[in-house]
Amino acid sequence: MHSLGIAFDLLFGSPIILYSIIGLTWGIVGGSLPGISASITMALLLPFTYGMAPVQAIVMLACTYIGAEYGGSIPAILIRTPGTNSAAATVIDGYEMKRQGRAGEALGISLWSGVIGSLFGLLMLVVMTEPLSWVALAFKPTSYFALGILGLSVIASMTNGSLLKGLAAAVVGLMIATVGTDPISGVTRFTFGSPELLGGVEPVLIMIGVFAVSELMMQSGSKGLGGIGEQVRVRLPSLSMMNRLKRSQFIGCLLGTFEGLTPGGGGSIAAFLSYNEARRWSKEPEKFGKGSEEGVAAPETANNTVASAALIPLLSFGIPSSNSTAVLLGGLLIHGLLPGPRLFEQNADVVVGLYLGSFIATLAQILVGILLLPFCVWLVNRPRAYLAGFILALILSGIFTLNTSLFDLGIALGMGLVGYLMRRAGYPFLPLILGVVLGHMVESSYRRSLLLSGGDHTIFLEDPIAVGLLIASTIFVTLSLVREFRDARNAKLKDVHA
Amino acid sequence: MRHLAIATAVAASLSAWSATHAVAQTPVDYPQKVVTLVTHSSPGGGSDVFLREMAKHLPKYVKATFIVENVQGGSGARAISRLAAAPADGSVFYATTPTYIYTSLLSKVQHGYKDVEPLANFFTDSEVIYTRADGPFKTLKDVIDKAKSTRGRWGAANPASLERQAAEQLKKAAGVSPAVVSHEGGGDLMINVLNGTLDIGVGEIPELRPQLEAGKIRLLATFDPQRMEAFPAIPTVKESGYPVALEKFRGLAGPKGLPAEITKIWDETVPKVLADPEYQKVYKTESLVPNFIPHDKYQGFIQNFGSTTETFLKESGVLK
Amino acid sequence: MREQAALKDLAGGVAVLAIAGLYYWATGDIAESTLSDEVGASGLPRILAFALAGLGLILTARAVMAGALSPAHEPAAKSPAPETDDETSTLPRALGFLAFGVAYVCLVSFIGYLPAIALLIGAVALYEGAPRNWKTLVIAAGGALLYWGIFVKILGVHQPSGLFF
Repeated sequence: MHSLGIAFDLLFGSPIILYSIIGLTWGIVGGSLPGISASITMALLLPFTYGMAPVQAIVMLACTYIGAEYGGSIPAILIRTPGTNSAAATVIDGYEMKRQGRAGEALGISLWSGVIGSLFGLLMLVVMTEPLSWVALAFKPTSYFALGILGLSVIASMTNGSLLKGLAAAVVGLMIATVGTDPISGVTRFTFGSPELLGGVEPVLIMIGVFAVSELMMQSGSKGLGGIGEQVRVRLPSLSMMNRLKRSQFIGCLLGTFEGLTPGGGGSIAAFLSYNEARRWSKEPEKFGKGSEEGVAAPETANNTVASAALIPLLSFGIPSSNSTAVLLGGLLIHGLLPGPRLFEQNADVVVGLYLGSFIATLAQILVGILLLPFCVWLVNRPRAYLAGFILALILSGIFTLNTSLFDLGIALGMGLVGYLMRRAGYPFLPLILGVVLGHMVESSYRRSLLLSGGDHTIFLEDPIAVGLLIASTIFVTLSLVREFRDARNAKLKDVHA
Repeated sequence: MRHLAIATAVAASLSAWSATHAVAQTPVDYPQKVVTLVTHSSPGGGSDVFLREMAKHLPKYVKATFIVENVQGGSGARAISRLAAAPADGSVFYATTPTYIYTSLLSKVQHGYKDVEPLANFFTDSEVIYTRADGPFKTLKDVIDKAKSTRGRWGAANPASLERQAAEQLKKAAGVSPAVVSHEGGGDLMINVLNGTLDIGVGEIPELRPQLEAGKIRLLATFDPQRMEAFPAIPTVKESGYPVALEKFRGLAGPKGLPAEITKIWDETVPKVLADPEYQKVYKTESLVPNFIPHDKYQGFIQNFGSTTETFLKESGVLK
Repeated sequence: MREQAALKDLAGGVAVLAIAGLYYWATGDIAESTLSDEVGASGLPRILAFALAGLGLILTARAVMAGALSPAHEPAAKSPAPETDDETSTLPRALGFLAFGVAYVCLVSFIGYLPAIALLIGAVALYEGAPRNWKTLVIAAGGALLYWGIFVKILGVHQPSGLFF
């Protein structure tokens, strides 16, 4: 009853609705600008919150996180540019839908899925914090290694019929992930003495280069953008569509919660894993990559679930599981709030306020989305000649904010060329992206495990989580390979008959 | 970022103005109206919070407006370059931490730590050794004994960091060879100490506070030269019998050739700011140890820290 | 058609081999440290280099077997074969587009963000076939002001400043 009283006070006593909606809107705008990640959006807001009451500041920052995770999908669908790392998986089917003139539908699905994901994450946060917080502790270096392998096993089914080319792309991705400071010894690798590369290459530069810049290069000189003049209205999925999306959204919720609990990744790994699982369990797996609604729903549910679920380890241990929650931790500390078990006793008003603010933001997301999206659709329907200039300018302005470095712009443009050549030569680039996202985790946790065991590989068998995940990866790879060979044989048979 | 910094600086000077009246201190004249404090950390990061808190209290003692500017990227290299290019008239300073020495040594930077002039030191961050509260280790000696009999498992927050250096020096001093595992930061390390993967971790108090207060973590020793004020019962590593002591410094540096009148003002001001009761309240909760080192001694301190680190990195083969 | 695809595959395979070679060559710069583990900082990079080289060899060999080097491909390459992907631009055209981005990166620290971004928008628009009239000029200038407002004024993020701005 006590917390209900607090909730009542907060709702009507202080303008918490206002702070959560401002935070959400700021987040959607920041997240939808390419290169401005959720954590940068939050960090830009942080100085403004110094003067606020603690609960207002924390609600505003948390709602910014929710908004940014959703906002990233808007440019992913409309201009093939993931606004944030975790929206990269949304590009695949989202942009494909846009090309088919179904941008409004894709945006509606991503909005609806984001709301579902946020609500599920929030539910976990409110009722399951205590039991779930121990999941974070159960994860050892061996488990992280196995999780990374599970992620890489997806590659086997993402190669569009060319396994060798897909593998080559994945290896190049893993190579990019080795640039920077060695995670174990601290020696520099492939930095060529440049301090800009000490921290490695930002994955979002690779994604924007490979997805967006290469697409602009591909389209250069063409008259119309695929599906011209589509003045479609943004529309939320119909009841039957909602029903069809249930399965992929459920997968997104589960994997998103899992990812939110464990340090690392920060949404992008969950998004890719759930995209692939959604395809594995879908009734129409053949539609994936060709504009599947489920292909948009799964990653968008997952990354929004992460935004709420990541608060669980933050509040219960004070452990930030991503850059964004690290900024939130900074916000808590500046206001003299110490996360951990005692936060729930000593600052119950902040905790309840946070729950309430996030809930309001989730509902407001639909409203803000419906108001904002038609404008975005209008923007991308301007004449192509101008649009190309504006998109390139947006990309180059946005990624400059990452490190205020022209060097990063060079990387993104260079990766644009790489992406263009890969497309021309028929190399799939999703494996490359996965290699970049997962490479660091796989390498560092493998080496940490062996360091702990003194070089003995049986350490992986002592960890039940690792064993389970590794068995699952083996099964997945085998199934994908069998399918690949069966498809290849069928294609050959068809050739013969034709 | 400049625009945000100005907004907060205005707020900071306003709050400082009201505080000035309470203390009734007359701030000394300063040749510059606006002083920019540069940091390589992002808003909300360690050095950023350090500077923003300091900027609130400095105007009580120095007649100037203090602005914090975040110059991120290149692990501090860009911030040092920003400083090295600034005029040496006391209008721009940079928040120094060991990071800028590591970056200078590990990459070919345009401007390194030798290209700027240390101004004065303010604080030391306490580096501590900790273990899980329900674990078998009660003292540092227990940990060393385990490392002698079987394979010890120690953790450091980051590779190529002061924490890693501390763990390696302790290893050498105690004559043991446990595995020292670098992590992805303090949170990652703490999880592996809490779940029993590691025997001990080397970290800083602010990262540990939630678990310390919840009673899940036990401190075993500190690498500080003296015992910590906030935890007087915790021995230093030296007292435990291993001659290792480290100081993770926090101070300011300026461009080369700072005029004597500027450095004199700061030498007089820093002890006053550190003694400010309101400021003390803030930094004591962060477990920062006030450690004023004046301008003439700070040069030697930083050079010494730099050459010790360089020797360590060369001996271990990280630097060729 | 078949030969052209094989030719592309050959170029791809050779490029993969080249990347593997360059990467392996760069692993020589990785320092050996006593702070490292048994795998070592250069452990995974070496494995990756060999794996990629192996894949490159197979891809190249497969392309050769598919007839990439047979003389039959000459006429096929000359005739304007219908592209499977109708939105594909030619390589020079695409490189030209990329050049605007490169030019922006080179110019921005001299002439400043606002003029550079206006030039970028205008130049790309003309390249993509916008009419050469005052409208394009106004759109480029307006777009630059819009971005400057969003990034510099609202978000308060530094953009590169030039000698004059």
